[in-house]
Amino acid sequence: MNEVLLIDSFLLLLVTITAVAVVQTRSLYAAAMLSGIYSLLMALVWVNMHSMDVAFTEAAVGGGISTILLLGTLVHTARDEKPPKGERKRRRRRVRWGALVVTFATGAALVYGTLDMPRFGDPSAPIHHHRVPEMMNQTVAFTGHVPGKQPVPPGWTARADLQLPPDLQARFTGNRISQLPIELAYAKKKELEEGHAPAAAHDEGGHGEDAGEHGGAHAHPADDFNGHVPNTVTSLLAAYRGYDTMFETAVIFTAGMSLILLLRRRREDDQGHATLEDQVILRVMCKLFIPFILIFGLYVISHGEIGPGGGFQGGVILATAFILYALIFGRPALQKITPQWLTDALMAVGVLIYAGVGVTTMLLGGKFLDYARLNPLSPGDGGPLGMTLVEWGVGITVCTTMITIFNQLAERESGSD
Amino acid sequence: MHDLLGIYNYWIYVALMMIGFYGVIAKGNLIKQAISLSLFQTAIFLFYISMAVVDGGTAPIWMAEGAHKVPDPLTNPSPYDNPLPHVLMLTAIVVGVSILAVALAIIINIKRAYGTIEYEEILEIERQMAAEELAEEAHVHG
Repeated sequence: MNEVLLIDSFLLLLVTITAVAVVQTRSLYAAAMLSGIYSLLMALVWVNMHSMDVAFTEAAVGGGISTILLLGTLVHTARDEKPPKGERKRRRRRVRWGALVVTFATGAALVYGTLDMPRFGDPSAPIHHHRVPEMMNQTVAFTGHVPGKQPVPPGWTARADLQLPPDLQARFTGNRISQLPIELAYAKKKELEEGHAPAAAHDEGGHGEDAGEHGGAHAHPADDFNGHVPNTVTSLLAAYRGYDTMFETAVIFTAGMSLILLLRRRREDDQGHATLEDQVILRVMCKLFIPFILIFGLYVISHGEIGPGGGFQGGVILATAFILYALIFGRPALQKITPQWLTDALMAVGVLIYAGVGVTTMLLGGKFLDYARLNPLSPGDGGPLGMTLVEWGVGITVCTTMITIFNQLAERESGSD
Repeated sequence: MHDLLGIYNYWIYVALMMIGFYGVIAKGNLIKQAISLSLFQTAIFLFYISMAVVDGGTAPIWMAEGAHKVPDPLTNPSPYDNPLPHVLMLTAIVVGVSILAVALAIIINIKRAYGTIEYEEILEIERQMAAEELAEEAHVHG
């Protein structure tokens, strides 16, 4: 048993207890607060499992934004959950047996399914044999060609086959995973598409057609910048899953739009809003903190490709600075800095920046989101550039959407009918 | 024993998911249902991130040479944890909060329309409205 599992089992126990408390409590305020605690515990779980980017997001989103949103909603709706009818008379908690049976049956089926799962941390699990070794291979091959980039991780030079560029057939000789017919089929397909064996690309050093296709002195697919982008999570996010991330940004934009459609009735006058401005300590601390939160948010957005963080996390952190400002000085004050027309426009601008980078690479002769095109002289360096631009797009959309959502949910009842 | 500990994470994921599931189907309060739905979501995050862990691995961020533990390269495909599930869950969390926000906005609108956010009471109001409509129709035709 290793230390990861030890901490993990303890934290997950706490998480489960919190989850039960969230569902059981009658007070909705308590439920909202407990769900914030739940998210912070989850963030610790992610850190323990080395998933820094997810922990970052969970802490900012779960611990910060969603708790604020829940509290904002409770102001409009109800503080407490009403007990079901039967319970009101008997003053005893009614257990919903039907629901309980369904949950336990589903749970039992899922537990049965987990018995076939690879054990926690098992290096031979199928998930670790697709894409990831390929990336490691490319990085090694890449550093072999371009000196001064990311060094080969120790332990990797020992394997002769890792010196080769991606070669799906030779990758795992003797490993049963690589013998899957589908992988062989893909390898064959790739070979036919490229017109030569993958191994040949290495020997030629990417001359000829391949150099034109990927624009480099080394053969690596357009979506790989591991030699240049140390944070593989960002590299995967913006390149390998670039389309996915773009449309997820569009989903966030859509959520902001739906909130506007659902809740923005009219421009109510915000006179007489209660603020915390007369609380000297809060006001001073808030004024002290906000600049640092802003700088931190900007740092997180623009360093996504180097360390943990990126547009999603940074955007949320930026939004918390604005939300904090609104909580202390009132929403009218926030509206002065970020008027509605500005946040509405920026929500769309972020998505457009993302798509714009894609279109730019197309205009430069590449494919959609083919970052290598952004820097014709050194295609590898196009990656960090493109990813930073894309992260800024994501950051702008996420930040302004969160501000919009907050504005809509925190709107006073006075404006409605 | 090691085998059992090896699937401990997956069992917790099932437990969390079922707690959320119970909340969604058994609770009558709409806000409670929305919170339960996000519990359900985090259970899925746990499932994915658990799969990403490699024994002896570390965060998937390239480090300077010699800065990290070296696992046995022959048994271990990577000195780093698998970054792919992290990427998927990272975006899912942000999309999750957007879903929560839209759900809450709809709940606020329901409160405006019905004056309550209890499922049973909303059904009651709906039933009354339907009955009144029927009575009115009968009155018009009769």
